[in-house]
Amino acid sequence: MKVEIVTNRDGKVAVVEYDYQSRSVDEKPMVLDVLLQAQLNGHADLAFRYGCRARNCGVCTVDINGRPRLACRARIRDGDRISAMATLPVLADLVVKRDGIARQMRGRMPVQAAGNDLNVEAPEDYHALTACVECYACLHNCPMHAKNLKFDEGGVTAAVAADEGYLWGNPFSLLKLQIVRLDPLSSQAEKDEAVTQARDLGLDVCTNCPGCKCGVGIDLKNKVVKELLDAAGLAAGG
Amino acid sequence: MSIEAAWWDYDVIVVGSGGAGSAAAQAASERGARVLVVSKDPIGCSDTKISEGKVTVRATGEDSDTEQALSDNLRMGGGSIPDKAITQVFARDNRAAYDWYRQRGARPKVDAKRGGPRPVSIAMGGHTKRRTIGHANSGVALSHATWTAVVQTPRVDYMEDAWFLDVVITEATDVGGQRVVGGIVYDASGGRLVVARAPAVVIAAGGLSTLFFPKTDTMRGNTGDAYAVMARAGADLIDMEQLQFLPFCLTSPPSYEGLLCGEPSVASFMGDLLDKNGKVILDCVMLRTRAECAAAIMLAVEDGRGTTNGGAYLDLTKNAQAPLSGDHFKRYLQQVMPSAYRNVRQAMSKAAGQLKEPWEVRPAAHYMMGGLRADPDGGAFAEESRDAIAGLYAAGQAMGGVFGANRLGSTALAECAIFGIRSGHSAAAHALAHNNKVADAAFQPALAAAAKLFGRDGNQSAAVLKVELQDAAWANIGPVRSVQRLDRFEAVCTRIEAALANVGIPAYSSWNQAFIEYIELANMLVCGRAIAAAARERDGSVGGHVRSDGPQISVFAKPYSTVIRRGEDGMFMARRIGREGLPFGRLGAYLVGDFWRKAKLRVLRRLPAPISDRRIRKHYEAVMNKTVGPLEIEPGSLAGAPAESVQG
Repeated sequence: MKVEIVTNRDGKVAVVEYDYQSRSVDEKPMVLDVLLQAQLNGHADLAFRYGCRARNCGVCTVDINGRPRLACRARIRDGDRISAMATLPVLADLVVKRDGIARQMRGRMPVQAAGNDLNVEAPEDYHALTACVECYACLHNCPMHAKNLKFDEGGVTAAVAADEGYLWGNPFSLLKLQIVRLDPLSSQAEKDEAVTQARDLGLDVCTNCPGCKCGVGIDLKNKVVKELLDAAGLAAGG
Repeated sequence: MSIEAAWWDYDVIVVGSGGAGSAAAQAASERGARVLVVSKDPIGCSDTKISEGKVTVRATGEDSDTEQALSDNLRMGGGSIPDKAITQVFARDNRAAYDWYRQRGARPKVDAKRGGPRPVSIAMGGHTKRRTIGHANSGVALSHATWTAVVQTPRVDYMEDAWFLDVVITEATDVGGQRVVGGIVYDASGGRLVVARAPAVVIAAGGLSTLFFPKTDTMRGNTGDAYAVMARAGADLIDMEQLQFLPFCLTSPPSYEGLLCGEPSVASFMGDLLDKNGKVILDCVMLRTRAECAAAIMLAVEDGRGTTNGGAYLDLTKNAQAPLSGDHFKRYLQQVMPSAYRNVRQAMSKAAGQLKEPWEVRPAAHYMMGGLRADPDGGAFAEESRDAIAGLYAAGQAMGGVFGANRLGSTALAECAIFGIRSGHSAAAHALAHNNKVADAAFQPALAAAAKLFGRDGNQSAAVLKVELQDAAWANIGPVRSVQRLDRFEAVCTRIEAALANVGIPAYSSWNQAFIEYIELANMLVCGRAIAAAARERDGSVGGHVRSDGPQISVFAKPYSTVIRRGEDGMFMARRIGREGLPFGRLGAYLVGDFWRKAKLRVLRRLPAPISDRRIRKHYEAVMNKTVGPLEIEPGSLAGAPAESVQG
């Protein structure tokens, strides 16, 4: 099985063709299997992230034919092209700099629960949202996040923002804020603040967006974006 | 020097950003320390995140679950090797430490009558009481809590994509011994080295299971960096032969090899562990520790009774097919091990997924019980003041003495919070009392050693050598060991250590994969040597250490721990320290209790099927939530994953 891997080392971009050797007749390998084998067969310095191999850690996201997939659980097919996620800056080969996403949330969320009685159950939607594994597949086609990548104003470039935390949000950052709103232990002030923060991250862009797609199947459009738009008094369109 | 270096000042450096690291960072900050968290994986993407999310919380199932009951359980489950003072602290801090997760968003089901979180239906892997709390979305839900602790806590700075290379120590002329002054970090994302000056370092990056890849269910990053760093600093490591192999992991297909498929407790009342001929290997599986099950499987394999892929069969079909209790069992399985059961359904046949045929299982490396020889605050312990390393702490898996020869199910996440908080507090207090300026010269040797690796010629690649080491580790220092195997393994180490000198590393500084592979391989080699040295010292089988050429060490024998220290030549010297066993009365009571639980289970299993079925249903009904709501979206569920292409 022949696949293409887009490498990017020390600023030099190249497309490497790799011929995957099946380990059994009926093997249906994952993208990660290809990367692991390539590393042992002539591509020892190939850079890629992976963690648990079981779709829980969220670090192995790469683009397959231009769409984000978790490498450990995405089947590979003949002719597929593996490249780094297009939505974040490349550090090397398939490794992107993720830090700017989490860092933008610093100071935007409560440090700990305000309620004293911890013996309170959370609503079902709360658990629907804590299923997020932070794979960042949701950045794909996100118009709010796209603004970060073009940004260049007053000395703050996209590269600086990636270091210090992006200015505009994304479905993940909105999900984090919606979790605060759904937590029965958040105070009303904290819930209100979450909406304010969502607006500050550029929530108004969502009014004209057809909706985002989650890497692990969370209904971002209805359970995150719509809820925040409603709370902010913005009408959903798209 | 081609790679640049930045110099930073902090009070406490925390290495690792999982359960233990995040708790340590938050706790140190709470006491006024300025904290730097160094994480090679993205913040919070740790073993805590990919775990089943089960946490031991004492006295959630019944009032008789006293501190002594839990402490005794840890010690007996751990072959009497755990440190008594440490297990007592575990039992005492357990409930409050669990609330650390809840304060940051973990929201378990609540038992309104008992006024606390609701435990799962069956006592897990080796526990004598029902005291395990589950969470929707497993460990992923807890990772949101640890993420919050690192990202949102004031005075906590953090860097991800950052490899902590070594702790830097100097002579402590005032008190004797050594003291920590900071560490050297490779900031792969920034393309530079960082000299972080700080009087205290908490190592919370434990785990070395990648030494056994792919026969492991843990994070790729478990390359034993924590143990290697502490060993190179000259610290004593304890019980390093005690590695936990989870008994029930997948054998195939290759993409799934090593991943978890169950705990002893999933065997439930009617589960059996069988060899390839269908003969029972071990009875009362649900009451056994992980170590007992793993050892039984591997000894059967040694005996030529293993399955095609070198494992055994876990047969749960009798549980599932029981007319009255079968559905309860399926719900229980779903509730207690959602991610593991998902792995089974994806990797095995449809019939296996539906519990109509047995599962082929094999042990896989999961957890290192050994680690830093520490006091109950996680601080490096030394008998003589000249051996002390003031300011060195470990928490979580990197800390030794907590679990001895076997870790009970669901105790690791409790351990992370308990000793994360304790080490964080203690490190902050130490740092704030010893924050004298240290001359830059103290850091130069370690900095220069790291810098000169960039742009090094060589025709070997660490990524390839690593696989050779991993294969040798599984075969020789894995779940079955002997002197002959240890000899063989050490010969492999010697060969790879020599090859390490010829590993080539390009000069570019930003995310240099070859450099990363080199560092991790060097650390894995140190860990392999450490395990082999300790395994040689323990010449009989106990817990996670199984010797095919030695006797089973009796529960009545005087317990001891192995202690190893790395010498200048890179070799470890091993010795033993005595451990205090349980007083005779409590040991006897424990053994009688254990005998009684197994006897009751054996009787139940021999009853006519309709009667046992009714009794088992009664048990489930008494402890399970009657109404089961719709399942939460489960990371990995096939139904809800539009960005995946698992089908076809």
